[in-house]
Amino acid sequence: MVNLKLLSPEIFLSVLALILMLADLWVPRKHGKLLFHLGIAFSAAGLLSLGMAYSDPANYQGMGTSWVVDPMGLFFKVIVLITTLLSLLLSLDYAGEASARTAPTRHLGTFAGLVLLCSVGMMLLVSSVDLLLVFLSLELVSITSFILSGFERTNLKSSEGAMKYFLIGAFSSAVMVFGISLYYGATGTTSLIGVRDQSGTLVGLASLMILVGFGFKASVAPFHLWVPDAYEGAPTPVTTYLSIAPKVAALAAMLRVFLQLMPGDIDMPRLFACLAALTMTVGNFTALFQTNVKRLLAYSSIAQAGYILIAFVSPGGLGKEAVLMYALAYVFMNVGAFTVAIMIGNEDSYELEAYDGLASRSFGVSLLMAFFLLSLAGIPPTAGFIAKFYVFAAAIEAKYYWLAIVGVLNSVVSVYYYLRIAYHMFFMPARKREPLSAGFYLYSGLAVAAFCVVFIGLYPDPFIASAKISSATLTEAARSVKTALSPVSVPARGG
Amino acid sequence: MTNLLTLITFVPLFGALAILAVPKEKTKAIHAIGLIAAAISFVLSLLALGQFDKASSAMQLVEKAAWIPSFGVNYHLGIDGLSLPMVLLTTLLTLVSLIFSMSVENRVKEYWFWFLVLDVGMLGVFVSLDFFLFYVFWELTLVPMYFLIGIWGGPKKEFAAIKFFLYTLFGSVFMLLGILALYFTSTPHTFDITELMKLHPGWSESFQITLFIAFYLGFAIKVPAFPFHTWLPLAHVEAPTAVSVILAGVLLKMGGYGLLRVSYSVLPLGFKWFLPILIVIAFINIVYGALCAMAQTDMKKMVAYSSVNHMGYCLLGLAGVTATGFNGAVMQMVAHGLVTGALFLLVGVIYDRAHTRDMSAFGGLGAKLPIYTALMTVTVFASLGLPGLAGFVGEFLCFLGAFQRFKLFTALSVLGILVTAAFFLRMIQKVFLGPLNQKWANLEDMSWREIIAVAPLTALTVYLGVWPRPALDLMNPTINNMIQSLAAVFK
Repeated sequence: MVNLKLLSPEIFLSVLALILMLADLWVPRKHGKLLFHLGIAFSAAGLLSLGMAYSDPANYQGMGTSWVVDPMGLFFKVIVLITTLLSLLLSLDYAGEASARTAPTRHLGTFAGLVLLCSVGMMLLVSSVDLLLVFLSLELVSITSFILSGFERTNLKSSEGAMKYFLIGAFSSAVMVFGISLYYGATGTTSLIGVRDQSGTLVGLASLMILVGFGFKASVAPFHLWVPDAYEGAPTPVTTYLSIAPKVAALAAMLRVFLQLMPGDIDMPRLFACLAALTMTVGNFTALFQTNVKRLLAYSSIAQAGYILIAFVSPGGLGKEAVLMYALAYVFMNVGAFTVAIMIGNEDSYELEAYDGLASRSFGVSLLMAFFLLSLAGIPPTAGFIAKFYVFAAAIEAKYYWLAIVGVLNSVVSVYYYLRIAYHMFFMPARKREPLSAGFYLYSGLAVAAFCVVFIGLYPDPFIASAKISSATLTEAARSVKTALSPVSVPARGG
Repeated sequence: MTNLLTLITFVPLFGALAILAVPKEKTKAIHAIGLIAAAISFVLSLLALGQFDKASSAMQLVEKAAWIPSFGVNYHLGIDGLSLPMVLLTTLLTLVSLIFSMSVENRVKEYWFWFLVLDVGMLGVFVSLDFFLFYVFWELTLVPMYFLIGIWGGPKKEFAAIKFFLYTLFGSVFMLLGILALYFTSTPHTFDITELMKLHPGWSESFQITLFIAFYLGFAIKVPAFPFHTWLPLAHVEAPTAVSVILAGVLLKMGGYGLLRVSYSVLPLGFKWFLPILIVIAFINIVYGALCAMAQTDMKKMVAYSSVNHMGYCLLGLAGVTATGFNGAVMQMVAHGLVTGALFLLVGVIYDRAHTRDMSAFGGLGAKLPIYTALMTVTVFASLGLPGLAGFVGEFLCFLGAFQRFKLFTALSVLGILVTAAFFLRMIQKVFLGPLNQKWANLEDMSWREIIAVAPLTALTVYLGVWPRPALDLMNPTINNMIQSLAAVFK
């Protein structure tokens, strides 16, 4: 079953992305922002095309040769496209790094097109059930993100970050490919479905190497070292995008690949528990010492990946739902925090001092920023609390008590640095008097993020319900069919 | 009115949101909105008192609606004889603190906004009967308190604010894990506190002890019980006057309330296991707190340490596990809220005028400030446990209740009363007696605003000291029921 029509949203979006890039050649520079608007419209169109899969599951959900479209995949596709849309919205009002005001004014169509292509890569990634497609889509994501993070050509930091990102990304891809080749050697196929024998040392080794590749993309410690530099250098809307979409997509793919399809002989939940503990601890403790908000949020995003990994210890129970819920909350709270960071960055800089006395200048904005930060820290009544609650519930359900304790202690530590920003906003005297001024698009981004964080925090039930529905996967079903057909396990049902 | 508790809890929130909409220059309007919201909440809580059936030990004015059905979380409110006194205390103290806070001139809008949000959190803790909701409100008190201390506090305000936040959060996250563990152990899974109270016979002792420790961390830090009290002197001293009132008057009570409502009722075996330790902690709190207070020359710091001492009496009453002891503990919480609230206000009054709280800097104020001296003297005597004032009733019942179980430590704890009397009397002597320090010749007596804030607290102190029946009648059926239903466990 080739079933290509399952991929129609991806195909549709790739075409649109290419159109944007081509249009760049003809649209004059001063109308470049028009292409951003087009990009936003296209991601909205992508979202609509996903609606097709929701409304007509019989035709647009199912198994393909190396991909699968199921509720879980769709959920993550929606998340990726929402992030894309919001990041492009923020790009419209982005003025560049403080020192040089280096916001790119040329090739805006290429920029928007690359973002869309990157999203296509992630949408494929969360759907893939074949290691070859996993690799290809990861490469699509990586290569576009290298270019995007180096998009401020005249900004040295941007180029430096992109270079580091590229070198480490290339290295991790190589490790991953090696792992895939081992897997092929052991099983005779790259497909993750329908493989009878997934045990053995070779498959175990392959899993670990593939895990390393994923670890880089999801910025899991100890593979996170590229993150702060790449995030600091990249244009801030790109940082927003990179800190959410690829991370969430990579984690979603890990959920599918490791916990459902490729157990090997390794106790994956325990391995993930250790990685989760390490990742959040490293992220949080390093963030304590940052003075640049972009770097601070970069380390915070590492820690957040760690929290999501906690849920991996309970793949059969609440774990999957927790991952979905966390991803959803994370999108809005992180977009919110970055939106305010862009506002301040446009006006002044990304250093913490730029936040001095913001509360006396614009109380509303600082209140919202405090709200997003508290949400990231997991303080109720915010979306972040619901997400953390879910994750810890998953850990307790799986009886990983030590992990839950490490997790809550980490969130106590994280409060310290999140409140450092609040400290600057509320406790320090202002250096300017006039209120903060920001563009229309930034305010709309802020409004959307704030609304969602509050709404999910106060009335999470519809979202939990949809996470419950969306945690259903077709790959599991495929797996159970496979075991049912195998003569050893259930001989009676052979016919 | 069926939604009375919801109204009591959320009227301040509407006040806070309305304040957000007012331009920050219009301080009069902000004051008006804030006072009206707090007053409505207070009047409604009196109404709840009127509707409350004092003879019953059941949850009353119950409201229940599904909130997050997929997790079995309900919006479940209700009050009994344990929580109603706390609700009344909260609404009253918030109102008088806000009256007192009209003198705050710096960043008025933000101050009143945070104060009202704080009120919502505190009230919510006392009325919620669902653990999830309880935790949300519990944490909701942290954020406003952080800003109130950090912006309007004293010289070390930033450090005090973050220390308070991290310390309390550290405790409460363990409570969160405890709540989750209870949820997954119960079948069907539930967060309902009243349901969970019935399930303890099915739980092993080791399980209850583990969970008890998790919850205890959250509550003990709030109380604060030795050795988790170190955040308190700092936060109380650095916080602005009205916020110290709320900290001492209400936030500490959340700890005592939690110990009764959760640790005792839901995890009785854990509570029983902990009793020998609890009595020692109570003793240390009483004596050590009093000795620390003795060592202070800063009046506010002295009052702060006296809170450690007074909450020690409360723990003593709890450790007795008798109806007398529990009644005493709740009574002591109410009395301490009124008395220490008034003390902080009075210390704030003198600080606003003299800009110092060092008691050796004063002298002979008694003749100079008659109203102030009268109010202060009554309050101090109540605080050191003079019979006829509210403080005595609570302390006496606590000692009486604990004596039956732990004779030695209860007897030793009496030392604390002695020291308390010593440091309070020393303060009276240094500040009000002796020759007048000429530096303060121009000091003015209390203004109407200050009198209106303090007088109700003093009046109630005297009233409850002379005639404690109404308060005790209110809580007695609930507490008797608590003791009787677990009598077998604590035999």
